[in-house]
Amino acid sequence: MTECLQWARYRWQRLMGSTRRDDEERPYNYSSLLACGSVSSHAPKLAAKHRVVIPHLRPFKDEYEKFSGTYVNNRIRTTKYTLLNFVPRNLFEQFHRAANLYFLFLAVLNWVPLVEAFQKEITMLPLVVVLTIIAIKDGLEDYRKYKIDKQINNLVTKVYSRKEKKYVDQCWKDVVVGDFIRLSCNEVIPADMVLLFSTDPDGICHIETSGLDGESNLKQRQVVRGYAEQDSEVDPEKFSSKIECESPNNDLNRFRGYLEHSSRERVGLGKENLLLRGCTIRNTEAVVGIVVYAGHETKAMLNNSGPRYKRSKLERRANTDVLWCVLLLLMMCLTGALGHGIWLSRYENIIFFNIPEPDGHVISPVLAGFYMFWTMIILLQVLIPISLYVSIEIVKLGQIYFIQSDVDFYNEKMDSTIQCRSLNITEDLGQIQYLFSDKTGTLTENKMVFRRCSVAGFDYCHEENAKRLESYQEAASEDEDSMDTPSGSLTNMTKPRTPSCRTVHNGPLGSKSLNHLAGSCLAVGSGEGASEVPHSRQAAFSSPIIGLSSLSGMPIKSLEEIKNLFQRLSVRRSSSPSLASGKEPSSGIPSAFVSRLSLFSRMKLASPVEEEVSQTSESPRDSSNSARPTETEKQNCDAGLTDGKVECSPGQPLASSLCYEAESPDEAALVYAARAYQCTLRSRTPEQVMVDFAALGPLTFQLLHILPFDSVRKRMSVVVRHPLSNQVVVYTKGADSVIMELLSVASPDGASLEKQQMIIREKTQKHLDDYAKRGLRTLCIAKKVMSDTEYAEWLRNHFLAETSIDHREELLLESAMRLENKLTLLGATGIEDRLQEGVPESIEALQKAGIKIWMLTGDKQETAVNIAYACKLLEPDDKLFILNTQSKDACEMLMSTILKELQKKNPACPEQALLSEGSHQSPATQDSGLRAGLIINGKTLEFALQESLQKQFLELTACCQAVVCCRATPLQKSEVVKLVRNHLQVMTLAIGDGANDVSMIQVADIGMGISGQEGMQAVMASDFAISQFKHLSKLLLVHGHWCYTRLSNMILYFFYKNVAYVNLLFWYQFFCGFSGTSMTDYWVLILFNLLFTSAPPVIYGVLEKDVSAETLMQLPELYKSGQKSEAYLPLTFWITLLDAFYQSLVCFFVPYYTYQGSDIDIFAFGNPLNTAALFIIILHLVIESNSLTWIHMLVIVGSVLSYFLFALAFGAMCVTCNPPSNPHWIMQEHMLDPVFYLVCVLAACVALLPRFVYRVLQGSLFPSPVLRAKHFDRLTPEERTKALKKWAEAGKMGQVTPKNADHSDSKSEKRAKSGPADSFAMMSAPSRPVDQGDFSVHETDLDSGYCETKASGMAGPPKG
Amino acid sequence: MTKMKKTSQICQSKLPDNTALKQQQLPAYRLQLSATGVLSGFFATGAFCLGVGIILILSAKSIKEIEIKYTKICANCAELREDAINFDKECTCSIPFYLSETMQGNVYLYYKLYGFYQNLYRYILSRSNSQLVGTDLKDVGNCAPFSKSHNGTPIAPCGAIANSIFNDTIILSYNLNSSIHMEVPMLRSGITWWTDKYVKFRNPSAINLSSAFTGTAKPPYWSKPVYELDLEDTENNGFLNDDFIVWMRTAAFPTFKKLYRRLNRVQYFIEGLPAGNYSFNITYNFPVTRFKGEKSVVLSTLTWSGGSSLFLGLAYTVTGAVTWLAAFSMMAIHLMLKEKRTLFIERFETERDRA
Repeated sequence: MTECLQWARYRWQRLMGSTRRDDEERPYNYSSLLACGSVSSHAPKLAAKHRVVIPHLRPFKDEYEKFSGTYVNNRIRTTKYTLLNFVPRNLFEQFHRAANLYFLFLAVLNWVPLVEAFQKEITMLPLVVVLTIIAIKDGLEDYRKYKIDKQINNLVTKVYSRKEKKYVDQCWKDVVVGDFIRLSCNEVIPADMVLLFSTDPDGICHIETSGLDGESNLKQRQVVRGYAEQDSEVDPEKFSSKIECESPNNDLNRFRGYLEHSSRERVGLGKENLLLRGCTIRNTEAVVGIVVYAGHETKAMLNNSGPRYKRSKLERRANTDVLWCVLLLLMMCLTGALGHGIWLSRYENIIFFNIPEPDGHVISPVLAGFYMFWTMIILLQVLIPISLYVSIEIVKLGQIYFIQSDVDFYNEKMDSTIQCRSLNITEDLGQIQYLFSDKTGTLTENKMVFRRCSVAGFDYCHEENAKRLESYQEAASEDEDSMDTPSGSLTNMTKPRTPSCRTVHNGPLGSKSLNHLAGSCLAVGSGEGASEVPHSRQAAFSSPIIGLSSLSGMPIKSLEEIKNLFQRLSVRRSSSPSLASGKEPSSGIPSAFVSRLSLFSRMKLASPVEEEVSQTSESPRDSSNSARPTETEKQNCDAGLTDGKVECSPGQPLASSLCYEAESPDEAALVYAARAYQCTLRSRTPEQVMVDFAALGPLTFQLLHILPFDSVRKRMSVVVRHPLSNQVVVYTKGADSVIMELLSVASPDGASLEKQQMIIREKTQKHLDDYAKRGLRTLCIAKKVMSDTEYAEWLRNHFLAETSIDHREELLLESAMRLENKLTLLGATGIEDRLQEGVPESIEALQKAGIKIWMLTGDKQETAVNIAYACKLLEPDDKLFILNTQSKDACEMLMSTILKELQKKNPACPEQALLSEGSHQSPATQDSGLRAGLIINGKTLEFALQESLQKQFLELTACCQAVVCCRATPLQKSEVVKLVRNHLQVMTLAIGDGANDVSMIQVADIGMGISGQEGMQAVMASDFAISQFKHLSKLLLVHGHWCYTRLSNMILYFFYKNVAYVNLLFWYQFFCGFSGTSMTDYWVLILFNLLFTSAPPVIYGVLEKDVSAETLMQLPELYKSGQKSEAYLPLTFWITLLDAFYQSLVCFFVPYYTYQGSDIDIFAFGNPLNTAALFIIILHLVIESNSLTWIHMLVIVGSVLSYFLFALAFGAMCVTCNPPSNPHWIMQEHMLDPVFYLVCVLAACVALLPRFVYRVLQGSLFPSPVLRAKHFDRLTPEERTKALKKWAEAGKMGQVTPKNADHSDSKSEKRAKSGPADSFAMMSAPSRPVDQGDFSVHETDLDSGYCETKASGMAGPPKG
Repeated sequence: MTKMKKTSQICQSKLPDNTALKQQQLPAYRLQLSATGVLSGFFATGAFCLGVGIILILSAKSIKEIEIKYTKICANCAELREDAINFDKECTCSIPFYLSETMQGNVYLYYKLYGFYQNLYRYILSRSNSQLVGTDLKDVGNCAPFSKSHNGTPIAPCGAIANSIFNDTIILSYNLNSSIHMEVPMLRSGITWWTDKYVKFRNPSAINLSSAFTGTAKPPYWSKPVYELDLEDTENNGFLNDDFIVWMRTAAFPTFKKLYRRLNRVQYFIEGLPAGNYSFNITYNFPVTRFKGEKSVVLSTLTWSGGSSLFLGLAYTVTGAVTWLAAFSMMAIHLMLKEKRTLFIERFETERDRA
């Protein structure tokens, strides 16, 4: 859908074309323009900057006509053509191509009698063929778009009909401005409309705007003031107001207007009142709105920039060479013109040499020379390879066909394979130098799994989720947790994080471990307290820990869940017959942990109130405590025990049918995890949350207030009234850095508790660091108990803030700050976003291939860095530089410091690499010396992207192996890509899965989408869409390499072919007084390129395989040849041309000298020339080919046969046709003549000898890596492994490709050593970063606030 | 989006076919550039070329050919023809020569023109195939300015080519001894391509030729109309005249010869042309000095390999030699490399194989 939107915009931009003014004016023009296009032709009466929207109902008909009559309706048409205008328009567009214009020019030129060189009709043939093929292609493409448009236009929505006095179904296309539309939850908004009613009592409605701006979180929209208070749905009949608003524009974040009631009272409208087309209603049962912009005038349509016409690097290169060809052509024509002039001046008066015009007038030599120039252009036109363009398109289609049918790209789980959405940049896949990757969903699976938590300073792990993960995909509803483990869930789930735990324990073990638990509680406690190293501790006390973790694990989750819930994760039951009934989806959130929450929180915090609460409900447990130093801990144990028991008893049947829908996957993960511990979120309504505790039964929490998440605070809070204690409790969930700062320093409960708190805090912090190192996403949870009066006071202030008009934002922030302070830490969670299968291997291979990989993520630094380690983007012994500053100056300083340091240590690190912008960075520089990684966060990135620092930043990154940008916004992502692309002149590839990657995908040379969890936006914007990251390595290393070498060789071959063939004609001019005679029959001349020699190169371009896929995968270094454009360097082009000249000379002069002075006639002379040329050209291809399949053979034989058949048939049938070249019987005559064959054989031998010798010697004298790798394909598997090893060794010794092979080999060796451990690490939590002792991190903190530059500190894990 | 998902579920699996073709796993022949293969290939090619070259040279050597340029010999005639005014003045010229060796077998008489461009674009265009094939005498479309005579009647045959026909008459006489001069019998037929004579050129159908060509004019430079080209042989008259047909097949290069007559092997000439004294009696009509050209007569025999050109044979021989040279040098390189890289013997095996 996005695509077609883009098309619309694109089309519109073209429409606007020259008349385009500045952005401000655009919209107004646009409306009128569109109006002319589709509705009526008179311009809107309101040329002004406003549009007036009147309800589209009968009472206002006149008025409506007056104001809104000319607004476009909601029908969209993104196709370029209609049935009628297809031919003219397509022709018109095609003639925008320079090449086509050129050929049109030639065709026209040939109609000028004075310069005519061919029969008129013949010159048009190639053009017609080309135009037809392209037109068919365009037509099909457009038809596809038409079908999509139709589908969209025919989507149904509910529009108020006055006749029927209710909302009736109508197609999108019939919606007009002023219509009232009623939408239910999850419906897509058909047009921009002002929100008039929402079922939400607060007049709020949530929309998901990911289709527009890439932000996947929900946005609130507000009913127009004055309407929110209405209880009943707004009645369109009674709606008598009119809306005045801006004319359509593309600013998504702006909407200004007012609603004027009949009483002349005006109500302001803002962007929070506007529902945008393409967004989806979420969490709101139903909304009603009035359409203000429709169709192409909606912000969505205006805002989608058209697809960038991507032209591949290779094609750009080819185009410059086409220009060279043009130059060559001009020179040849000039030669012809001069030659003819001079020649004619010698024979000016010889009547048979300078045949007078029909009127007897004799042309002067000068004029004749001038005419001859044009004649020559016609004659030698083939020098510009017209068929090249068509062939390239066909070849690309073929390549795409094969890419798409590669089984390796098939993903069974999703039943999807690669989609090639862009048809013209396949060969760019083989030249990628920079890869920009999103993290979440691209490298990782974006399936959040609750992994660990820390409660009251104890660390627990949750392995059950591993199981859940496995089944995650298959089940639409994810109830497995609770279903699978009704009885033993607790224990299974909460196993220590010893590596084996996952596999060892299965569900049924539950009870057993429980038993252990009871006994060993004490031991655990002490053990935990004492041990510094979590691993050892757990190993030692595994079973007790299980118990413990289970206990406390649950609470935490529940806490979080609650919060999440509060956060409005919309919980929905999908397909649960029992529960789904009756309730609207949005509100059906069961939240059962509140009670738990209280329990656990109490345990952790030991605040008196909570204790009471817990005691009331769970007093028996308290009594059964073990000998632990602190009460809370004991309680923990107890709670766990009881929980365990409870759960062991036949579990909870109800939970099974719940399906949660959360704003973000991690929240869902928390809710699910909580459910696994029997804290089931049951329902979630705006006012309350019901959580079902196995132990306590359902508890209902009254929701008092929600402070939504924002990126400034980096936290969110809910205020609930605890059902047991009846206290007001604030729960806050947020980034650890933030929460830690907000914890209460002085607790009122006395010193011991305070101390306790401090210990917990420290431990938790340790755990958090630990989690982060493992690549887990961490969250902290804290709470605060308020008295009612405190709350009331806060609420009052907060209300003031909410209602204030000026500085509302700041006031709200302030208010939030007032609430979220003096918190008590409850615990922390670690959620894993598991790496996708095969990601580390892919990244490693891609890095070996010389591709620089940048990770751009919105995630926080620690997580990003750790994922980077996990996926082998960073190696443990890499030097890490962290750019994290608050001001531009500091950033600059820091960068120069790092740069100096880098350059000192690594002299190879190139200043010059960047100084000579545009030159490719030689991969050598990256590989020599030490590896360095650069981490930069969003804020610093902003500085670095500023113009003055760009260069330095790029220099810095050039020295680094990998760059990780964390906390980057979508816009920054695209800016980074743009910066690198434009300033380094490198080929970039951006890969991402979410809507937030769209901009980056569109900016990069190749945009790659991952069809994953986050919808289709990325896929829609991408050039290629794959289902898993690991496919990228094959796509680039194998298909990219193939496509690139194939296409570049084919293009070169085309140049060669055309030059070689056309030069035959040119040489002949020296023997016919430069009179423009062709010694070949015109049909053969034209068909030679169009038919006889067109198929083999196309097949070559599609099927050629220089190196087999296996070898390419095994030796990623081979990819570097593509990066360096080795297959098609400027030099290669000229060598090719030289060869073509040589071959044409041979091909001409062998027959020439053979027939010199004989009685051969013109066309009989041309025949062996043609035939020899055909063989030379085809055999040349055979020499260049590395693999010949039966298809090649078929095509080659077919081409030769078709040539002979045509020549024979034409020669037999054509008696008078085709003057002056009359091919009658020439071929037949020649085929009986031995000399003909001798000439052809000799010409072919002599012509091909040099190239063949070159190819032979190339293998032994200066083999390129690719050439050497080619040899591998012929070996048996054993020989192959041996050879590969040798290759690696040779590389290490610097024998062959010292720079390239070097580091990759050492790396692979390393990998071999640490094989199994690593592979495990990849699967679960990355293990390497955990033992951090030996990896050094250069962290540099620059805080502008203090205007202090701390020099780069050393060692230790990165800190935010 | 949801719709898309649904459809994807409905359709069968998108798993691509796992065929050799689609997976690009087709068995492929790879050019094996192994040392032995390449070298033996080169040697074989070289040997072949040398062999063919030698055969060709030998066969070309066996050809007897005599060429006599007569522009200078008949300088006075040439001078006369320089001026178009003298077109009706006849000028003959006799060129005696001595044939030292018998020319065995079929002997062909050619005329050869130097520097006459029969391959100019506008020149070769200036003909009417449909007229020549006898279907439409009035079709003179491309022939301008030689399409119509002054009074508007179409010229047959029209166009520059026909108009510029080579119109010398060459008669070879054999001087058996000083007194007996006999004309060597020559055939004026069978010197064209069969298809030219029987397909491409047809006379318009009529009772007799002259009536067939009524309503047409003779080309301005011709002395007689087309139907009087050969009054003795009706099969050789009109458009079917062999000399005319031969001329109409425009030569590829500015220097060319065209078959004029072939020896009628009767009487003395049954074996060919015996050695002895001969003379050409030439009626000099065709002007060449104006374009600084030359004319010559050629007597030649033919072999399977065509004319007397040594080029092809030499070229083959040289190519063969060069190929061998290349092969030897490659062998040298190969051996050198092999020695140099003993360190990595195995790896170089791979190299060597390729070399």
